[in-house]
Amino acid sequence: MSLFGTTSGFGTGGTSMFGSTATDNHNPMKDIEVTSSPDDSIGCLSFSPPTLPGNFLIAGSWANDVRCWEVQDNGQTIPKAQQMHTGPVLDVCWSDDGSKVFTASCDKTAKMWDLNSNQAIQIAQHDAPVKTVHWIKAPNYSCVMTGSWDKTLKFWDTRSPSPMMTLQLPERCYCADVVYPMAAVATAERGLIVYQLENQPSEFRRIESPLKHQHRCVAIFKDKQNKPTGFALGSIEGRVAIHYINPPNPAKDNFTFKCHRSNGTNTSAPQDIYAVNGIAFHPVHGTLATVGSDGRFSFWDKDARTKLKTSEQLDQPISACCFNHNGNIFAYASSYDWSKGHEFYNPQKKNYIFLRNAAEELKPRNKK
Amino acid sequence: MGRKKKKQLKPWCWYCNRDFDDEKILIQHQKAKHFKCHICHKKLYTGPGLAIHCMQVHKETIDAVPNAIPGRTDIELEIYGMEGIPEKDMDERRRLLEQKTQESQKKKQQDDSDEYDDDDSTASTSFQPQPVQPQQGYIPPMAQPGLPPVPGAPGMPPGIPPLMPGVPPLMPGMPPVMPGMPPGMMPMGGMMPPGPGIPPLMPGMPPGMPPPVPRPGMPPMTQAQAVTAPGILNRPPAPAAAVPTPQPPVTKPLFPSAGQAQAAVQGPVGTDFKPLNSTPATTTEPPKPTFPAYTQSTASTTSTTNSTAAKPAASITSKPATLTTTSATSKLIHPDEDISLEERRAQLPKYQRNLPRPGQAPMGNPPVGPIGGMMPPQPGIPPQQQGMRPPLPPHGQYGGHHQGMPGYLPGAMPPYGQGPPMVPPYQGGPPRPPMGMRPPVMSQGGRY
Repeated sequence: MSLFGTTSGFGTGGTSMFGSTATDNHNPMKDIEVTSSPDDSIGCLSFSPPTLPGNFLIAGSWANDVRCWEVQDNGQTIPKAQQMHTGPVLDVCWSDDGSKVFTASCDKTAKMWDLNSNQAIQIAQHDAPVKTVHWIKAPNYSCVMTGSWDKTLKFWDTRSPSPMMTLQLPERCYCADVVYPMAAVATAERGLIVYQLENQPSEFRRIESPLKHQHRCVAIFKDKQNKPTGFALGSIEGRVAIHYINPPNPAKDNFTFKCHRSNGTNTSAPQDIYAVNGIAFHPVHGTLATVGSDGRFSFWDKDARTKLKTSEQLDQPISACCFNHNGNIFAYASSYDWSKGHEFYNPQKKNYIFLRNAAEELKPRNKK
Repeated sequence: MGRKKKKQLKPWCWYCNRDFDDEKILIQHQKAKHFKCHICHKKLYTGPGLAIHCMQVHKETIDAVPNAIPGRTDIELEIYGMEGIPEKDMDERRRLLEQKTQESQKKKQQDDSDEYDDDDSTASTSFQPQPVQPQQGYIPPMAQPGLPPVPGAPGMPPGIPPLMPGVPPLMPGMPPVMPGMPPGMMPMGGMMPPGPGIPPLMPGMPPGMPPPVPRPGMPPMTQAQAVTAPGILNRPPAPAAAVPTPQPPVTKPLFPSAGQAQAAVQGPVGTDFKPLNSTPATTTEPPKPTFPAYTQSTASTTSTTNSTAAKPAASITSKPATLTTTSATSKLIHPDEDISLEERRAQLPKYQRNLPRPGQAPMGNPPVGPIGGMMPPQPGIPPQQQGMRPPLPPHGQYGGHHQGMPGYLPGAMPPYGQGPPMVPPYQGGPPRPPMGMRPPVMSQGGRY
């Protein structure tokens, strides 16, 4: 039932801004298509922080490049600049002032890209591909945190070649998120560790995973006072766990929900279960979006514990997503994530990044 | 959570054997999972009610209750919450629970010790969830050596082992394992239950412990709860939380409270978490361990539904859509191997072609001499990475520690003399550069 791998002729579709060809499924939601999208799968997306006027989108891809577009209010996307790594780019993030972009790559390095001068320099080195990169801005320090498959988490002052600190991870780092003063890192073998970043980063707690399958993505959420209070963790088994760090009643407050599964007919057709490739929280509403290998995105309200919306199915998995700083734009990337192995990879198939207006659809439901 | 005697233990669903805290939640569950019309999604009250609805409204017959385990699919049985459950099934259930509590106690102690990855240190054994908790409650009064009230976790580890034995003493035949633990502990009202399970944990505990005593209905920690110090949630995993911070209790406001700078950040410690042990933090429930993780799930998914998070009822959401189809087989759309999709993909030669040669070497430290490619430090590594399908000639890369990673590590793709074929345009960066890399950072850098 899935459409992956079908070489739909439209794969190489053109440059229409609004991919609205009704005949193919590459953009069933009729969202805005970003121009000049990367030539290989997009692994990560990130919008500029509020300190920059306007919206700038950064995408890292398996073609080893990192691209930057300006997204205008009318939906137009203008490619601005590009940098290269020597290996696929796995993660990107912005500095808090919007002047630098940090990129992490399979080439075992992380780079800092100064947008004003359009120069990129290496600021981190690991023994294996760097899977995550995050900028930490604390009152008394600032640094870049990189998580790698070499089982370490390193913190870098970008002016020095040696890390400020190295923390050992139980396993390869698969995903991480930082919302000061909290950082959450999920590793292979279902490892899950929370760090507190005040003063200096230190391990806060190792948590027994609420999920039974491989961890794939994690996103921290905040409470009403805008302080990080928990995180959402997605696995390859179509499930997301909502976990609070210090809930009044963990049994009731923490929960998991299923998502990104094919419906299967009511009775006995086997159900296809897809990986959750990304989770992002709306910066204003606190509701969340998940994107999966099934080629759909869904919006959820974790407090009302309901689903707000599920999209139509795209013809490729959705590999990454993110919100812009004010929550008006939801960006998601449609490209192959390898969920069906090498056989279903079609290098000719075009990779897309879509932008959707997110102001309305992510409003929370009233608690029932 | 208490209510042991309620309707024979906690309310449970006859159709799928899941446990619930409350009958109301059980009923909600039944309505949503078993009595819901698959055509119009209307929720009925009972099985026969659903059958009648489907017949009258949709002209369709159904012969089995949706999402029910085999043997419990009878559509004619009128069951509502806990009412209507045939007596023999009730008995069976009670028996099962008793067995389970015994086993699970023993097992749990063991499993937990393996499971918990608590911040290094911590002899996990000392923190077995169940046993620990109960004891803590008593410990304080008992001048236990090294056993400050639970909240004081940090001190615990050393003291705990002795504690544990404490419980056993209660059990008949338990040798005086606990120094200082007056045998009078017995009266720990209800603490005992954990007793039988503890022995296995205790290092050196004579296996002879008479495990049998099935403390009836020992719902983990229920009794203990009263005993344990406040703030220790009885969640079995909870102790794990406590475990993590053996260090001196540094108070760190931590997230929720924000603010408060601390000095000495030492590890975990917790701010409000402070008590560390307090709050469970560790997620929900015990089950888990046994999960093969990354299996192709068939059926594992269904079981997951049951075990997820403590509250099955909580597994929410999705009101509409994604109705899990009964317990039918399900298939994980993911390659079989236990590695992430990115790792798998990165192993392909196509994505390794431009990786920097080993010259870069691990470190970031001082400008390593070796730049410029040479197989620095680890010449002998090859074997490690091997095993990965990718043809890549793994020689020399570093560090291989990752299982599964082999592929790229080697990066040493000799073919391209230097990674950068593509890099040129962007200077500044090329990792390789003469100069030991980093330095460039400094110089140009400045900017940052």
